[in-house]
Amino acid sequence: MSESMRCRGMTDMLPEDTMRFRRVEEAFRQVCLGWGYAEVRTPTLERLHLFTAAGTLSPQMLERVYSFLDWDGWSGERVVLRPDSTIPAARLYTERLAGLPAAKLCYVQNVFRFAQGDESREDWQCGVELIGDTQPQGDVELILMACETLQALGLSAGVKLSDPGILRAILVKGGFSLPEQIRLYDRVLDGDLAALGEVQERVPGLSPSLSGLLTVEGEATEYLDNLRSALVTEVPEIARPLDELSAVSRVLTQIGVSHRIAPLLVRNFEYYTGPVFHLDVAGRKVGGGGRYDALISLVGGDTVPASGFALEIDQIAALLTAEAAPEQAAVNIVCAAANGLDLGAAFALALALRAAGRRVAVMAGASGSSRHRAVLAGRQVVVAGGEFILSGDGGKERRLTRVADVVRAVAGSASGG
Amino acid sequence: MIKLALPAGDLRAPLADLLAGAGLRVEGYGEGSRSYRLAVRGRSASGGVTVRVFREKDIPIQIALGNYDLGVCSIAWVREMQVKFPEQPLVPLFDLKLGPAQIYAGAALSAVTGLPGLASLATVRIASDYPNLAEAFARAARLPAYRIQAVWGAAEAYPPEDADVAVIAAAGEDHLRDHGLTPLFCLLESSAWLIANAGALARKDLGPVLGPLVSGGAANGGAANGGGVLRLPPPLAAAARGPLPAPGRAAVRLAVPDGHQQRHAVEALRAAGLELPGYGESPALRRPPSPLPGVEVKVIRPHDMPQLIATGELDLAITGRDCLNEHLYSFPASPVEEVIDLQRGQYNLSAVVSADLPAGTIDEALDLWRSAGRAAVRIAAEFPATADHYARSRHFWRYQIIPIAGASEGFVPEDADLLIEGTETGKTLAENKLKVIDLLYRSTTCVIARKDSRPGPVLKQLLGALRRAAGAAPGV
Repeated sequence: MSESMRCRGMTDMLPEDTMRFRRVEEAFRQVCLGWGYAEVRTPTLERLHLFTAAGTLSPQMLERVYSFLDWDGWSGERVVLRPDSTIPAARLYTERLAGLPAAKLCYVQNVFRFAQGDESREDWQCGVELIGDTQPQGDVELILMACETLQALGLSAGVKLSDPGILRAILVKGGFSLPEQIRLYDRVLDGDLAALGEVQERVPGLSPSLSGLLTVEGEATEYLDNLRSALVTEVPEIARPLDELSAVSRVLTQIGVSHRIAPLLVRNFEYYTGPVFHLDVAGRKVGGGGRYDALISLVGGDTVPASGFALEIDQIAALLTAEAAPEQAAVNIVCAAANGLDLGAAFALALALRAAGRRVAVMAGASGSSRHRAVLAGRQVVVAGGEFILSGDGGKERRLTRVADVVRAVAGSASGG
Repeated sequence: MIKLALPAGDLRAPLADLLAGAGLRVEGYGEGSRSYRLAVRGRSASGGVTVRVFREKDIPIQIALGNYDLGVCSIAWVREMQVKFPEQPLVPLFDLKLGPAQIYAGAALSAVTGLPGLASLATVRIASDYPNLAEAFARAARLPAYRIQAVWGAAEAYPPEDADVAVIAAAGEDHLRDHGLTPLFCLLESSAWLIANAGALARKDLGPVLGPLVSGGAANGGAANGGGVLRLPPPLAAAARGPLPAPGRAAVRLAVPDGHQQRHAVEALRAAGLELPGYGESPALRRPPSPLPGVEVKVIRPHDMPQLIATGELDLAITGRDCLNEHLYSFPASPVEEVIDLQRGQYNLSAVVSADLPAGTIDEALDLWRSAGRAAVRIAAEFPATADHYARSRHFWRYQIIPIAGASEGFVPEDADLLIEGTETGKTLAENKLKVIDLLYRSTTCVIARKDSRPGPVLKQLLGALRRAAGAAPGV
């Protein structure tokens, strides 16, 4: 097969894909409106420097951005195809909405990140940002919104909670530099437990085994209490992330949302500062989010706490395949003009049928091509010499001259004349 | 047949000796032959080695494209490409220990005293002819706001007025200090390496070249010794950022070109009664004394002038219309314009093809390539934005721009189908079996300025003198 004309890593959405996409989007939007969120969109192009400061995107993510000089970028300052939506949302809040006690924003938009081979380089996300002083109830609200969206689509989500502050506190205690911290963090997330051994060596007073403690997935708030008992004497800074996580875990337990606690979870985003969560369905990660209290000030705003999450539409839509047949988009009625002179009358009929809420198609040439006919499965009205010819049951024809009569006959109501 | 790409320039003589020592004598290479295609003595053209001479920075591109199997160039140009395009099928094989240099980030003395100081600048302006390495440096340091000025050369002359940092090749820290720069960070110990196309290495017998070089002792260093490894700075601690520099300055700033435009600029300035002491010499003084009070003069590459006019760093520059157009094709909204045509240094910027191509117009050539089933038209150009604009406006359909640094006549027909090239008499074209198939435009030396500039008395005086010189040019 010859090489595709489509760019690598880019996806065409066919009608069925788009319908599944819309289902996810609509379920998400309804949940957001129900929780008092307002929809926004940020531009596809942003200035690169928004994403380069420490504490925004990780260096690994920065290496995958699509950046270039814009047509007026003679100064050498680059722009970027949005690689993430949270940082632009933070910019939008800082520049346009700062001063509001709380901003509750949601969006459906795409992000662009280079990926190897045929992996996707454009991903669509349903995202939510809750900016303002709302901890910890904000974190709980976000988790519930994400779960509700998935539930509305007939999916049951597993929730995992974490806090990058746990490992960060230990790495800081071990005296690792920021790049070393990031490298070690990534190695641990890649399953390299030797990295935890290296960390352990740098904190000599820490006797409990890190690889033992941190690789267990806790099932309740008690697990967090155990971590506190084992680590807080040697690493007092670990108390804050554990407390924050406990607050969220406790509320979720009270309202019956089952969840697990995994101390090692997020990668690639440096902006998370507090509790984070992942959602998976049938073993597939479909979304996640968390607190990013430092981000608003990093993009030039005041110090405002904030948190957010994003659901991966492509992942979720793929799970819907077997669960619901795509909505039928077939045409109800075909207005077939016998020749060019009848085309005006055929379109007049089509307009009247549209006003009556019918799905229509107009065809020129009474017979039409067989391929065209196969697509247009609806009832046919042939327009010839100023007459509308309706084929009835058993091959019986009816001939009408007024559009209103035709509409009444085929659509059950009259509209137009 | 093994295809070997060798560099033009300073590496020629020592590399020719090294190759000859390994029994690979390339006819004419060490002597600086003007021909771009050379033969290896004693090896027949069919079963042996074919050699082509390129500008050094074009060699990694040619190897990555698979046009050549093996090449020799400074590892700095390899890293410059790899840091931006890590997936390119290019393998550095071994260090030939020729042409040693370091790639340094250096700051203007007054700007900062060390790496951490960069974090306190409102915007860090970095000039470099290694823009990808400069970008990697800025990103690793997590500079909150930076601008990379990709320049064609003379990056060391940019600080302090036109940049805060230069990323340049230097022979040690003293070399930087000679340019008035404080060494901040050494990114790379560079030298010439033998590099290979990954596909060729995987599938093709490269022994006739690799064997003699390894057994001849040329392969005396590899990646294992740490040479050629790109080092990047740690993230800088966030610091209170200083205010943006105040706009406006006392002196009028004029840039004059080095390189092929220099001769024409010298003549024009002489005709204008504005001779610059030291500018006509080689190498030119970077900051020749000004003939007019209140004017500062700087010598930089003509390609880089429009950008500095656009950003307001310069008031006036003498460059070529080719360089101005390249800038405007890249940045159509740029506020730079031509204010005086100096009527010197005329040449045609043309579309050039192989003399053997049976086509008289570009449309006939496109038809030929399409009917031959060519997937994309390969266009080699020193002015990639100009070439891109040309290809778009002539409806080329699918095409590929190969940016090149020079030695362009050797590209067609093997490594490109079309060349966007300056042509004067046609003599060089004929020598290289090439012909002009289309004219893009006629270029001359010109004076450029910002559209919105409001000239004061000094600038008016300068412009008046240059206008008189334009009127007195031989072609008028």
